[in-house]
Amino acid sequence: MKLRTNLYALALLLLSCVAAVNSARPQQGKNLKQGAAIKDKEDDAAEGARRFAANCGRCHQAPEDISASEAKAVVRHMRVRAMLTGEDERLILKFIAP
Amino acid sequence: MGFSKFLSRCFLAVVPVLFGASQLYAQSEVPILSGGMGILRETDGGATFFQPIITPVLAVPIGDRWLIETRADLRGFYSREDGTSGPYEGQFFSTLEYAQVDYNATSWLTITGGRFLTPFNMYNERLTPIWIQNLQDAPFIYSIGNSGTAANLGGMARGAGTIRPDLNFLYTVYFSAASNVSNFESERQFGGRWGVFLPQKRLEVGASYQRLLQGQHMNSEGAYVSWQPYRAPLDLKAEYAHAPDGQGYWIEAAYRLSQFGGAYSLLGRLAPVVRVEQFFRLQAEPGDGLPGRNAERVDFGLNYYLPHAVRLNASYARQLEHGANMNVWNLGITYRFLFPMPFWPKGGNG
Repeated sequence: MKLRTNLYALALLLLSCVAAVNSARPQQGKNLKQGAAIKDKEDDAAEGARRFAANCGRCHQAPEDISASEAKAVVRHMRVRAMLTGEDERLILKFIAP
Repeated sequence: MGFSKFLSRCFLAVVPVLFGASQLYAQSEVPILSGGMGILRETDGGATFFQPIITPVLAVPIGDRWLIETRADLRGFYSREDGTSGPYEGQFFSTLEYAQVDYNATSWLTITGGRFLTPFNMYNERLTPIWIQNLQDAPFIYSIGNSGTAANLGGMARGAGTIRPDLNFLYTVYFSAASNVSNFESERQFGGRWGVFLPQKRLEVGASYQRLLQGQHMNSEGAYVSWQPYRAPLDLKAEYAHAPDGQGYWIEAAYRLSQFGGAYSLLGRLAPVVRVEQFFRLQAEPGDGLPGRNAERVDFGLNYYLPHAVRLNASYARQLEHGANMNVWNLGITYRFLFPMPFWPKGGNG
């Protein structure tokens, strides 16, 4: 009787664990996706910093206190002036206005 | 109506339309008003003059691919009535340096129309702004490939692409029409510039070619190198240019003393500059903007980078030109500004 009770308890515990794991999976997946997105963003910003140093840093420092919307105009202007590629423009923008 | 007038009128008609269209994108992009201002003082062989200068740059992005950009040069020129004596008298000059529409067709292709700076070698496009140039005076060979207003009215295709992660190609090809329309003066010519850039070395090497399709119908050729190594705060640049009138070169080195406590320490803000140049006259051509005879010059400068994009410049040069040797002293202060276009709707993500 005691054994049967213990088996029921164990089965219940296993079921609740499975249910918990199953319910956690989508959340965990969501977290993983968010984590990957953050990592991508960080990677882009790091690559943008590298490209800023390689291209823009030849003549000047990074501008201070620049908003994202102003940065678009600045970087597009510099793309033409400083012979940047489209990819340089995108990544440098991630760096100066993340 | 001449072709150049037609081109300049087309440009003047298209810009307001695009500018109006940019209002549609006002929630994500804000035009910027940038540029520089400064006061420069120069003494050439005893004659002193002052130049207060403002060079505003307006950049208006439209959507993901378009950009309208323009730069003007507004300056006063104050000198003594008789060169070295008498009261100071002044004149005012205003120049539209460029007013162009850019379309970024692909990652490696930008199509430009309107009035643009002549892309011959690197000095004209990159080093003419007073807040960037290490020395105030342009080198002797600046006029080669950049005669007249150093700008063109026409079309240009340009861009940069990646061959390998450590190697980019750079190119510019352009055509311009002859124009004597005020503020859109230009010569009929075509040309281009080609180069490679090694981002991991910060080394760029390139060459230029230009064919003048009016008057002398002459060719101009040039080459340039620009190197800013990561290991040292050194800025090394050099150009060579050749035209039937003459040829020459300049080499310039600037070294910021940032090892002494960092780039923003008292001493780290200082950058000594040296430039050496020579010009060789091949044939006499008055009014070509080049020295009348063979000439050589060496410049020594000190630039001090103050906070908030203010810079102090001082330099001394010894110029040797047969029968006209002279000392040149320069002193100046420049300020670089950048702010969003006033009275523009606030950006959504700004």
